[in-house]
Amino acid sequence: MPESPSSTDEPADGSGDELATDGGSTAGVDGRMSGLTTYLRERPRLRTLAIAGPPYGILVLFFAIPLLAMLVVSFQADQIGGAWTLHNYTDFLTSETYLTVVWRTFLISVQVTAIVAAVGYALAYSIVRFSRRTTLLLLLVILPFWTSYIIRMYAWINILQSDGVLDSLLDLAGLPALGLLYTDTAVLIGFTYVWLPLAVLPFYASLTNLDGDLIEASKDLGAGPIRTFLSVTLPMTINGVVTGIVLVFIPTFGSFITPRLLGGTNNIMIGMVIENQFKSAFNWPFGAAIGMVISVVVVALLVVAMRLGGGLFGAGGETA
Amino acid sequence: MSAIDRVTDPLERFTQAHAARMAAAVIVSVIAFLWLPIGVLVFMSFADGGVLSFPPDELTLRWYREFLTNDAAIDAIVTTLTISIPATGITVALSTMIAYAIDRYVFPGRSWLQLLATLPIIVPLVVTGVAMVLFFKGTLGLPDYVAVVIAHVIRTVPFATLVILPTFLSFDRGLEEASKDLGADEFETFRQVTLPNVFPGVVAGGLLAFTLSFNEFVYTYFVKGSGDPTLPVYIWNQIRYNVTPEVNVISVVFLAVAVSMVLAAVSITRVELIAQR
Repeated sequence: MPESPSSTDEPADGSGDELATDGGSTAGVDGRMSGLTTYLRERPRLRTLAIAGPPYGILVLFFAIPLLAMLVVSFQADQIGGAWTLHNYTDFLTSETYLTVVWRTFLISVQVTAIVAAVGYALAYSIVRFSRRTTLLLLLVILPFWTSYIIRMYAWINILQSDGVLDSLLDLAGLPALGLLYTDTAVLIGFTYVWLPLAVLPFYASLTNLDGDLIEASKDLGAGPIRTFLSVTLPMTINGVVTGIVLVFIPTFGSFITPRLLGGTNNIMIGMVIENQFKSAFNWPFGAAIGMVISVVVVALLVVAMRLGGGLFGAGGETA
Repeated sequence: MSAIDRVTDPLERFTQAHAARMAAAVIVSVIAFLWLPIGVLVFMSFADGGVLSFPPDELTLRWYREFLTNDAAIDAIVTTLTISIPATGITVALSTMIAYAIDRYVFPGRSWLQLLATLPIIVPLVVTGVAMVLFFKGTLGLPDYVAVVIAHVIRTVPFATLVILPTFLSFDRGLEEASKDLGADEFETFRQVTLPNVFPGVVAGGLLAFTLSFNEFVYTYFVKGSGDPTLPVYIWNQIRYNVTPEVNVISVVFLAVAVSMVLAAVSITRVELIAQR
């Protein structure tokens, strides 16, 4: 287990301390620890290494290197350690089926992002500008986000399937059934549902930081609420908007759960193709190549987002 | 210009007049959209008549009883806990070290550490999942359990760090100076002054890490072999291949875990901290 060696060393001589008071035994630990801290204080580099080193090492070894391994494997034939080849990429990029899947995935991601951005921004704006019970509302928004993703999809299966909750209610109202499950609409609803809380948060944060005097000034100068929104509020909160868009677009583009559970057989998204390579086709290098294709799209989006000024990597850091 | 004004002016006036009402409508309808499906799940867990038939004829506790006597489901919960509990411990230790290092020290690669601790949130889960199965299983040949615990640590460290780091950054270091001026050494100061101040943030980070790990699906699904599914993998198999009414009960279990953990975390820190995602 990759545990940090420091700070957990219990006194091995605990047996001799049995009669000592609590303070006495901790003084022993303190003494030893202060010896260690003095030693480390005189060696600031070692001290930094002791604290930053373990998490650094673990993130590099178990996150960064696996991504590099994926890059390497994507150039191998048939299996890990196979001959070097470009076939995984050429097969993918010359297949009309796969390119169609990528294009469809892109379109769905754009639609989801647009819907979530619009609804999420409206919600964040309403909470920040018009509500006093922000803590409660924020809690109500984020709580669903912390429950299982699969469960949230399952809830929508209950609602959208034919004879499900929605159709039964429509039936009671004398309206025709919709039978939305296994359609594009179901996929859009499912994605909107899971990502809405995620997008509201950066919107909320940027709107809270917005100086209310600017809005007053705009109104004093004769602008109506819509003009004020378009020429003051929106431009001033563009960082939050970009962050929210990135946080929704990227996971949608890579998703396989939602289209698998809510979409029909003709709603295939690129994440499902990867899942298939690892769960039934067992062509790992090809799956790795598709993973790289997704990564390229993601990196391209991030570059654009940084240009537009999304504060992604500072999230939770210096801004707090 | 005036032509545009003629169109927009009534709109502006309408918005001005009804802004508060529109905002209330947005808040109520979106929060209803977020919570109604959850209400449906809870309601359906009491529904007689089996899977997915609405409206139910009768309400019953039958599925709860069946859930409690279903060894496969209980085993899945135990499996999940044997992964989530150690993963949470490791994550809290690592995230606290990251927060401490970023807050206190200036060192080469400091911004890289911050980037590395954020990236797992941004890289699509399916991509990291693939990378992990290739490297953990293909290259390192790690046993299932170790591979899954590591995967959960990578999944939870960014979120825990997002919660823990701000508590370090907002901590008034003058208190530490005062402690040292009064004769305490560095370790004593950490234990008596720093730790009590950052403790709520650390606990909240741990609670959220546990919640996330308990719900973790994508990494687990890729990295883990077929035997001993975690609860999310178990429920995925149920939904995909043979839905039983118990799934509704398990949904309620997930809800209960999430709600209690998040409320506990919120009660000891600020909601905005948890809300960072």
